[in-house]
Amino acid sequence: MTKETAGELPERYIDEKKLRRQSRRDFILFGTGAFAALAGLWWIAPLGSKKKVFGEHTADALDTLAARLGATRERSERFQNRALTFDDDIAEALYSPNRTVRTYSKRDITPLRNNYEGRTPSPDYIKEWTLTLTGLASGNDVVLRLPDLSSLAQHEQITRLCCVEGWSAIAGWSGIRFSDLLRAYPPGPGAKWAAIESAVNLDGNGNPDPYYVSIDLPTARHPQTLLATHLNGTPLGADHGAPLRLVAPMKLGLKNIKAITKIAYTVDEPRDFWGERGYSKYDGL
Amino acid sequence: MTQMDADKPADDGKALTDSAEEASVEEVAVVQKPVEEVPAKEPPVEEPPAAEVVEVVDEHPGARLVVIKHHALVRLSHWLNVPILFALIVSGLSIYWASPVFLHKPDPVTHSRDYLADLGIAIARHVPGAKADGFWFYDHFGLGVFNLAGALRWHWLFVYLFLATGVLYILGLLLGGGYRALLPRRSMVADGFAMIRYYAGVVPMKILRHPWPHPHITTKYNALQRGAYASMPIAGALALASGWAMHKPVQFWWLERLFGSYDGARIVHFAVMIYFILFLVPHVVLVLVDGWDTMRSMIVGWSGRIGGSHD
Repeated sequence: MTKETAGELPERYIDEKKLRRQSRRDFILFGTGAFAALAGLWWIAPLGSKKKVFGEHTADALDTLAARLGATRERSERFQNRALTFDDDIAEALYSPNRTVRTYSKRDITPLRNNYEGRTPSPDYIKEWTLTLTGLASGNDVVLRLPDLSSLAQHEQITRLCCVEGWSAIAGWSGIRFSDLLRAYPPGPGAKWAAIESAVNLDGNGNPDPYYVSIDLPTARHPQTLLATHLNGTPLGADHGAPLRLVAPMKLGLKNIKAITKIAYTVDEPRDFWGERGYSKYDGL
Repeated sequence: MTQMDADKPADDGKALTDSAEEASVEEVAVVQKPVEEVPAKEPPVEEPPAAEVVEVVDEHPGARLVVIKHHALVRLSHWLNVPILFALIVSGLSIYWASPVFLHKPDPVTHSRDYLADLGIAIARHVPGAKADGFWFYDHFGLGVFNLAGALRWHWLFVYLFLATGVLYILGLLLGGGYRALLPRRSMVADGFAMIRYYAGVVPMKILRHPWPHPHITTKYNALQRGAYASMPIAGALALASGWAMHKPVQFWWLERLFGSYDGARIVHFAVMIYFILFLVPHVVLVLVDGWDTMRSMIVGWSGRIGGSHD
């Protein structure tokens, strides 16, 4: 071996028997691992993909076999959801109340798309709109109208909204800080969550389909978490959640619920619309 | 005198000095069978010190001289990467479907608005029975359309495995010394061109029955392999960095800034995927061409090719 190649191709004498034994062991491990990887991928693969690769009949037969051996669909779902909660735990650990979200200047503002899942509600609801707060320290529910919020300080910020789909948009928001609302109407003892709902959301056919998200109170208390009334200087339209919507730029767009009608403070984690549909629940950016 | 020398029968064989190591390797490779005079219990000798006097006679009865190629952790992480990268790519394509970056005006006929869907349409036109629409690509190369939630779940599951595998790989490189074969060398550029020339000529020269020897390689990898393999951990790190820049653009704001913007990170992330795929094709073809020893060495760790890979 020359000096050049020193250390790159180390040669050794190895007892033939030992070499054979080790190699056999490695091949067995390799084969077992390859089988386990294939079986594991099968177990967690969506049925549609399996049918495309193996054909309807074979996919069903193999799925039945897998279920008989204990690799059921329910267990697969539970296992995969663990990946989501694990990732959420990491996101929560990364969160710092002191870390501010990047703000932009006016010329960075981009068009913001209306990503309502169903139909955009008709603006008629705005006249009748009220905000109900429950789970308060006072023990009583509070019903607010827009003028009731005008006593709280107004804040403006130009931040980015990141959608779980992969697009993002920069928009200027103004409104009150969620933390100011929390101070004005403090939540009950032990409250850790805000369950925020919109009763006016519609499904694709225009039928009522209330939307709801869970927001942890540390996020609600962040100075850049707004209850916005204005977008780029003009009052919100029905397409962007008039008259009051959540702007939490440290969360995915789907947490930024539009047309809020109710905020309930809870001790236990409340339900979350997209969390119930296979997405993660914390959604911290 | 080391213990090794003291144990040795000093009767026959010529003494070699200095360059002994190289010479002994060749000689022993010829004398494979154990020689009777030598005591059978002699322990296998690790790299004899070059300056010492070394015997040429087979001092290694029952032993085989092999090249130690890949550390166990390198092999493990190499194979783990097969299902992991597969899962990351197919789920990544379904995530990409939800909001493509490479867009064009919607095609009036196919209604496709992104280039990957176009690619799918082009492929599907040649597949019997396939419906050549904008969904085909994501249905057949990804986890399906309208499956963003399922695809994200796969992506997070496998990215943590990818991260853990990357750590195992780096650990294996360090423990096994494999990193040395990946470090850049001054001769790489010239050697790289020699390899390109070889690959360009190998098929035509075979047809012309003209001798076309493989460039003599004394290192573990030829210059092209060295570059390609060394780029893999870098590509992996880039994939992770751009991925986390998108996944946590607020907490890791500095990571996002590194890629210019959110979309910048998306483009880099996508480009790295293409790079992995481009690497994979020649990687698999060449290992099949190179033969069983090379393939086996990634399973068992050793190679029987003494003194370099070719010629």
